[in-house]
Amino acid sequence: PCVSGGLPKPTNVTFLSINMKNILQWNPPEGLQGIEVTYTVQYFIYGQKKWLNKSECSNISRTYCDLSAETSDYEHQYYAKVKAIWEANCSKWAETGRFYPFLETQIGPPEVALTTEEKSISIVLTAPEKWKRNPEDSSVSMQQIYSNLKYNVSICNTKSNRMWSQCVTNHTLVLTWLEPNTLYCVHVASFVPGPPRPARPSEKQCVRTLKDQSSEFKVK
Amino acid sequence: QEFRFGSCRAKGVDLQELWEAFWAVKDAVQAQDNITSARLLRREVLQDVSDAESCHLIQALLKFYLNTVFKHYYKRTVEFRTLKSFSTLANNFIAIKSQLRPSQENEMFPVTERARGRFLLFQRAFRRLDREAAVTKAFGEVDILLTWMERFYRL
Repeated sequence: PCVSGGLPKPTNVTFLSINMKNILQWNPPEGLQGIEVTYTVQYFIYGQKKWLNKSECSNISRTYCDLSAETSDYEHQYYAKVKAIWEANCSKWAETGRFYPFLETQIGPPEVALTTEEKSISIVLTAPEKWKRNPEDSSVSMQQIYSNLKYNVSICNTKSNRMWSQCVTNHTLVLTWLEPNTLYCVHVASFVPGPPRPARPSEKQCVRTLKDQSSEFKVK
Repeated sequence: QEFRFGSCRAKGVDLQELWEAFWAVKDAVQAQDNITSARLLRREVLQDVSDAESCHLIQALLKFYLNTVFKHYYKRTVEFRTLKSFSTLANNFIAIKSQLRPSQENEMFPVTERARGRFLLFQRAFRRLDREAAVTKAFGEVDILLTWMERFYRL
């Protein structure tokens, strides 16, 4: 056992949660630059009795710990805490607030597939996948967890710089009445009605609508 | 948009507004709850509630929140600057509860008994704690309650 309170506590202890992948992260204690500090993490299920150890996060030097497996029952709520250790000294515990994965996990962007016609673009969206314990586990779509999952599709006509967005619930969308032979850029963010969650839009994708075939014939 | 708790209907309530109201005070309220080893709205209270039970259960829970939790938490809202959110939640709970008409027919007795059993689990857990601590804990668990209520919400 170490002398508790001999070190300042880690700061900004929070969960970064995306698609139920729940990472506990923190900042090193202030004023300890150059000192080889290590950390130990524990977690707690709200309503139960004991703090639990995460063996892979005992005496670690990194400032994050993957608690996805330990917090995978998303109808539960959790706390986590971390302390800093250096030689015979250690800090008091620094604790998170109550973490509710079902309400707080960020919904990652969908996969976006675009196909173009002369005056239209077809968009097919695939919902993001939930974190899984093992790569060979079967995939669970975030759509299965959040039946009210929606998408905010943002479109930009790069010629006119006109931008607009549409909120859709199904996975296919056709943009019509577009200009031929024009570059359009699209990005999509998933969202779920309810508590505010930070949005994580997809990478911008740009495609050019086909040339207007009729004008081609006139020229000839 | 309306809530459909079995045959009961409650219209004119914007669930998003309730979420935003609670989320504005969630961290402050839950930080006041030091008894993390107790959870009032445990899984057994809200899991696998049938449609028929849901109206009886939500009526009992909202009545308890209004007559006990909010009534005693009110004097702390000024201290913890949660009055605006508190009022939004309380007024909307009143609006929902006032529209609920759970069936009282005899053949519903097994259903009402199951719903009552669930509510008693919650109430007993509440009464095991000191009054102030229990009121704070119950207010901090409104996110659990809203998550369950959302299953009965139709846009």
